[in-house]
Amino acid sequence: MTIETSRRDALALTGTFTAATALTLALPAGRAAAATVTAPLPTSGRDQPFDTGWRFRKGEGAGLEATTLDDSGWRAVDLPHDWSIEDVPGGVGPFDRTAIGKTATGFTTGGEGWYRKRFRLAGIAPDARVEILFDGIYCDSEIWLNGHSLGANVHGYIPVAVDLTPHLDRTGDNVLAVRVRNIGRNSRWYSGSGLYRQVTLDVLPPATRITRWGVGAWTRRLAKGRAEIAVSTQLDNADAALTLVTCLRDASGKVVAEASAPASATVEQTLSVRAPRLWSPESPALYSLETEVRRGATILDRLTQSYGIRIVTFDPHRGVAINGASTKLRGGCIHHDNGLLGACAYPDADDRRIRLLKARGFNAIRSSHNPTSRSLRDACDRIGMLLIDEAFDMWHVPKEKEDYSHQFPTDWERVVRAMVLSARNNPSVILWSIGNEIPSRSTAEGVEWSWKLANAVKRLDQSRPVTAGLNGVLGPVQKAGTDTARPGHAGKADNASTLFLDVPGYNYRIDDIEVEHGPHPERIVYASETFPRDVFDYKALMDRAPYFAGEFVWTAMDYLGEAGIGAAVNLKKGRPAFYMAGYPWVNAWCGDIDLIGEQKAQSYARDVAWGLSGLEIGVQRPVPDGMFENIALWGWSDELQSWTWPGSEGQAIAVRLYSSGDKVELRLNDAVIGSKTLTAKDKMTAEFTLPYAPGRLEAVAWKGGKQIGLRVLETVAAPAKLRLRPESTSGRKDRDALTYIPIAIVDAQGRLIPDDKRRITLTIDGPADLVAFGSANPQAVGSFQSKDAESFHGRAVAILRSQGTAGTVRITARSEGLESASAVVTLG
Amino acid sequence: MDAPVYPPAARFVAPEIVARRMTTADTSIAELKSHPQVWAIVLSEIPAMDARIGNDMIKPHLGNFSLRSLTTFGIVKSAELDKVDVKLAALGEVK
Repeated sequence: MTIETSRRDALALTGTFTAATALTLALPAGRAAAATVTAPLPTSGRDQPFDTGWRFRKGEGAGLEATTLDDSGWRAVDLPHDWSIEDVPGGVGPFDRTAIGKTATGFTTGGEGWYRKRFRLAGIAPDARVEILFDGIYCDSEIWLNGHSLGANVHGYIPVAVDLTPHLDRTGDNVLAVRVRNIGRNSRWYSGSGLYRQVTLDVLPPATRITRWGVGAWTRRLAKGRAEIAVSTQLDNADAALTLVTCLRDASGKVVAEASAPASATVEQTLSVRAPRLWSPESPALYSLETEVRRGATILDRLTQSYGIRIVTFDPHRGVAINGASTKLRGGCIHHDNGLLGACAYPDADDRRIRLLKARGFNAIRSSHNPTSRSLRDACDRIGMLLIDEAFDMWHVPKEKEDYSHQFPTDWERVVRAMVLSARNNPSVILWSIGNEIPSRSTAEGVEWSWKLANAVKRLDQSRPVTAGLNGVLGPVQKAGTDTARPGHAGKADNASTLFLDVPGYNYRIDDIEVEHGPHPERIVYASETFPRDVFDYKALMDRAPYFAGEFVWTAMDYLGEAGIGAAVNLKKGRPAFYMAGYPWVNAWCGDIDLIGEQKAQSYARDVAWGLSGLEIGVQRPVPDGMFENIALWGWSDELQSWTWPGSEGQAIAVRLYSSGDKVELRLNDAVIGSKTLTAKDKMTAEFTLPYAPGRLEAVAWKGGKQIGLRVLETVAAPAKLRLRPESTSGRKDRDALTYIPIAIVDAQGRLIPDDKRRITLTIDGPADLVAFGSANPQAVGSFQSKDAESFHGRAVAILRSQGTAGTVRITARSEGLESASAVVTLG
Repeated sequence: MDAPVYPPAARFVAPEIVARRMTTADTSIAELKSHPQVWAIVLSEIPAMDARIGNDMIKPHLGNFSLRSLTTFGIVKSAELDKVDVKLAALGEVK
């Protein structure tokens, strides 16, 4: 693998250190198999990839940080790595019905694991400082270098930086060791375990340098064709003889604004950009913000980060506006996992997730209920997705027996600081959330915590409002004094839960939003969690209430854990309409998009509500006689876009049409089944019941006499073959590169068999590893890492990871009785 | 267009509680329990209320949920709460 850098970087940094500054270095192939090789690393500069060549051992141990330990028997891994998604002995893939996390973690397991990595930094300056940054470790961890403890971390979702300098061997081998523990019931959802986010290394100048996360840039004004950006830079060991230069480059690399000033501990500068390209979800224009510490013409330190010029305002009269344009938040909550990959934060996986959501009309996500990975934020910046970054799921009162509440009273400031400072330059971040459904938030102690958290955020970033996800009731009415209240709110009656929030988020409180606007017209609110079934009601509310900023459905995408909260199951008539999902349910099954990226029934309905489609069709799976369908609060009827229900001939079947039109019609085999006129009270939904007969089901929608939609479902023939359609047939060769290859079961005409389940086996030839293979099935059926998996709804997906070299990868899928299929992906 | 600014406050002083009329719909269970005379009204109509909300799943959420919100889960009936609300209204404003 070759680490590439731009010519400008290489030239600029050449003056910084001694001779060994060439940034293009040959590393081992980067595959896990090369883990024992001591690799030379770049000798200067920030943000060097440090993900390859680790060793991993699952299980408890003592003294495993020792430099002399022989770890050659440990498993070779490249990061990101999540051991909870790996198969467990006696389980079904990664799922163990006896797991302590039960439905919360989707019956996955934690435990203790150890990571070690040998590396060499030959050629660095004798006084260079070296830091390592873990973007996230789940959960409790301790880090050693050459046997010396460097620090510990107890929060699973924040970046953790440690200084390697004091114990670094500058000429010989170094051994980094990390112990990670995920013990007990500590999470309400699938957390994953291990070094699941990226790790990077910074080789820094010894004296004056840019403080970690020390650059904050805020667009202060847009006027007269110019943007005014305030930049605050903190320097360690500032030397007034040095110069701090800050510049902004456009996408072509051209400098569009620059400012310089003598170095000091804190430097305040203003950049003025003429004719700026503004960042918004519709047009996510990015600049490059460069910060340099110079001695004359020599660059001592440089930090480069992407930056978007935008102003976001929240106002009860106009709602949310981005650069002055009113915008409703069409949002979705997400958990952090990447489906079959577990918690592994591959940049390509995060990128795909955001692209999938964007394609379905989402313009905002809420990172529930933890700070985001850098790779997810970067994807939001690039693709144009607004983001609520959330700090906590609990404060001082636990939700789970061994959760973070026990560390919160002494650790919270570190979390807030890491979350805000690491993400404050991401233009996608529009709100800081200090918590979700916090127990005891309305008590005197809770109100004080709310104040502490909100104001800790504002001491770090005054450009974004503070929010929280509030369920239930909002607490006693209170008044805060001048020193304590938000500006303009002193002495005004407010609720305990909203007193210190700039933009309250309401979880499942649709009936309260308009009621509470009466006594509180000063509030701008949004629905921070919503039931999928309320999509049409929230759309109507968005249209009529300017103070209502938008909704965030729970959830935009399926996730592991909270197993079965969206289950739709058939129960015997006469039984209570109550179902508590248990094993083998392992995923929540409440997402608009399923675990492998396909649309579910509710997503088609949302397409209509949000204007992406004029007409969609859902056919409810036939309900056996004597049964009724019970849909969980977060669920949706078990609808498929299918007219293939063998064995149900003659049985009544429900067909639902979702349309923004005023009239819809349903036809079966050219005979009109019925038509309906839609009014506002129908909430864009028309339901027909008809006896099932194979053939062609056709739905049409009109608006004002004009046809706005046509949907056709055909009864398909028997499964005949497999179909592989890589999402890209050419990809990068670097070790981070992923290729998604959807697999479908189709009939002889190539039509999807919509409800098919069968085993599929893969063979892969070429320089790529299979890192995940499976389906969206919400129930445990097998491994996510085997070459053998079962389809669900006629689909599966294989995910390949480049081995770090160029070449051609051929993947072949086989299934008994079907014609096999192959695809070729070129990496390079 | 100028960007909004959300400056931090100077210091924390416990906010003043404002007297108000409590109801089973907009008052949290924890708040109802914090006023002995109010909780006595609840128990007078629903004697087993403490037991009904005593399990480990509900306990952490007593500060966020009202008694009325528990009707969704079948823990309490609306008719029982209507009687409680009549008595709470007679109590007047509580601080």
